[in-house]
Amino acid sequence: MATDSEILHVGIDLGTSRSAISASNGERFVVDSFVGWPADMVAKKVLKRDVLIGHEAVANRTMLDLHRPLERGLLKEGSEKDVEAVRELLKHLLRLVGVSSNGKIDGSHVRAVVGVPAASLRTNKQYLRNSMKGIVDSLMIVSEPFAVAYGLNALLHTMIIDIGAGTTDFCVMKGRYPGEEDQRTLTVAGDSLDAQLLKLIEERYPQANVTVYMVREWKEKHSFVGEAPTRVLVTAPVKGVPTELDITNEMRAACETLVPPTVETMLDLLSRVEPEFQERVRNNIILSGGGGLIRNLSQTLETALKQVGGGKVTHMQDPVFVGSDGGLALALDAPDTDWEKLTA
Amino acid sequence: MDRVKRQLLREAVSDNLDTIRGLPPRSLRTSRRLGHLFLRRAPLVIIPLMLASFAFLSNTGITSTRKPAAIPPPPAARHIEASAAPMLMTDTLEPVSASAFPLSVRRVVLDAGHGGTDPGASSISNVSEKEITLDIEKRLGVLLRQNGFEVIATRDNDRLIPLRERARLANGSHSDIFVSIHVNSIPHPDNHGVETYYLGPTNDPTLTKLAATENLTSGYALADLRKLLDGVYADVRRDESQRLAATVQHQLFSGLRGVDPGLENWGVKRAPFIVLVATEMPAILAEVGCLSNEREAEMLRSGAYRQQIAQALFHGIHAYASANDAPQKKGT
Repeated sequence: MATDSEILHVGIDLGTSRSAISASNGERFVVDSFVGWPADMVAKKVLKRDVLIGHEAVANRTMLDLHRPLERGLLKEGSEKDVEAVRELLKHLLRLVGVSSNGKIDGSHVRAVVGVPAASLRTNKQYLRNSMKGIVDSLMIVSEPFAVAYGLNALLHTMIIDIGAGTTDFCVMKGRYPGEEDQRTLTVAGDSLDAQLLKLIEERYPQANVTVYMVREWKEKHSFVGEAPTRVLVTAPVKGVPTELDITNEMRAACETLVPPTVETMLDLLSRVEPEFQERVRNNIILSGGGGLIRNLSQTLETALKQVGGGKVTHMQDPVFVGSDGGLALALDAPDTDWEKLTA
Repeated sequence: MDRVKRQLLREAVSDNLDTIRGLPPRSLRTSRRLGHLFLRRAPLVIIPLMLASFAFLSNTGITSTRKPAAIPPPPAARHIEASAAPMLMTDTLEPVSASAFPLSVRRVVLDAGHGGTDPGASSISNVSEKEITLDIEKRLGVLLRQNGFEVIATRDNDRLIPLRERARLANGSHSDIFVSIHVNSIPHPDNHGVETYYLGPTNDPTLTKLAATENLTSGYALADLRKLLDGVYADVRRDESQRLAATVQHQLFSGLRGVDPGLENWGVKRAPFIVLVATEMPAILAEVGCLSNEREAEMLRSGAYRQQIAQALFHGIHAYASANDAPQKKGT
């Protein structure tokens, strides 16, 4: 059995768009959740690799059988290639923090906490657990917003709104492990926003040649709701000629598709909090995930809160590692006796 | 690490252990968890209390045949532990074995599937399921009464009774077990067999479709279903239902195969039939034959074959009841 010094604790935020890992040896990495295998022998010869992961995979996608193994935050079931892809992704994340079969730390000494969408079903969790067999020694799966709350020490009278690519997760922390009634998951999130933005741009500029990858990049730089901070000007080929396009209105319209469902869910969950604690929760709303960085979103949510007495919405400046850091905090705090029960 | 974090961690670990064990989410098990806790901490006081309150709340006037007086009162200290139950909810609780409750089977609800304007399945020669199930129910009722069982029938003539009403009737009668009789019809006319269901989720789309067909006249709204599932209280009922289903299926197949060598054993299965969801006692649904198979449909027309089905069902119920009685006798 490994001694404490050899055991590596990791927190993993397995995201639809990006996956992050935080390890107890101080290493932290984030990768795009894409896995690709060379499409044919020629591609394999050019790429000189058996599998490409993350940004590399996206950059070389034309030569790859490209997989994004998570859909709406969940492992796609029934697709062996996607299971293999998620295993490759996890192994890659672990390699980045120093886990390797011939190194000092191998998978049999790794204890991992993985965050999944709040509304994941038991079967989704079992499926993920099965997929991680042999990759880590012990595994704990928790809801992603719970991991965020734990990492931020926001365990009592707070609401976490985690806007990811595949899902927007809500979780009210009441000092206990959140149950179904404390959490919600919406599939209106980053990906649906991308799809909407792409559609709007194509409608306005039918001649422009725009892909979802370009749209995603523009969104990450320029997303906003309400009043535009600046005009959103991007460059895309129109009939093969690089052309500047103004997508300010399209960006606003796409980003604002998030607002009504988010407000409705936030107010609904608030109304279910015990009346004497509602004000405290209203003043402790934390916006995390990539979507939390949409400009003016926290102010827009605060405006919506005025109808129920007002409140405060704080967004995380650096939301990338907030989930994986929370997972790591959980992993480190769990006693050995518990880890022994959670063998992967 | 503070107390809240320790508590949260325990609960997170407990939730993961539930996933590993394949248990349903907590919200569906609230009553069962409470049930476990009470059963663990103070089984001897809770049983008579439940029986007494059940009898008191009943609007049918039928009282239970069980004897609470036979169960000794509990030590006071254990009762106090039980009242502190919510603090202990995060413990990983061991399942309670049904054998801890050697309760006799005295009263049986027989439920003849379909009826009235709902004929159920029909054969090419126009024999309907509702007619066969009613006849078998009557024959089975006679056999059970002759052997000392009390029998409650959900219908004794050709009329449509909503599934919801059947469950209400069964629950109000304080019966020990519920047996629903149905006849199958499948898309493959060459095959025929017997199968017995108890309540549980299924991933099989064919079974989902079958349950949807059988649940057509449930009278429940979708919103009620969640409430009903919340009320599916304990491993004990599920385990007992499974045991009853296994015993009945064994007798059905072995009893009928002698007459019909081509009969297939389709085994014990789980499916969310409304009558199984809404009833509060161990409950099964037996598909005693197959009207889509012409040869079997012909056999099902005959009173002699129906009598044999009734006898096979009787042997199954009797074997289950005898097994339940056995440990009780041993203990006295």
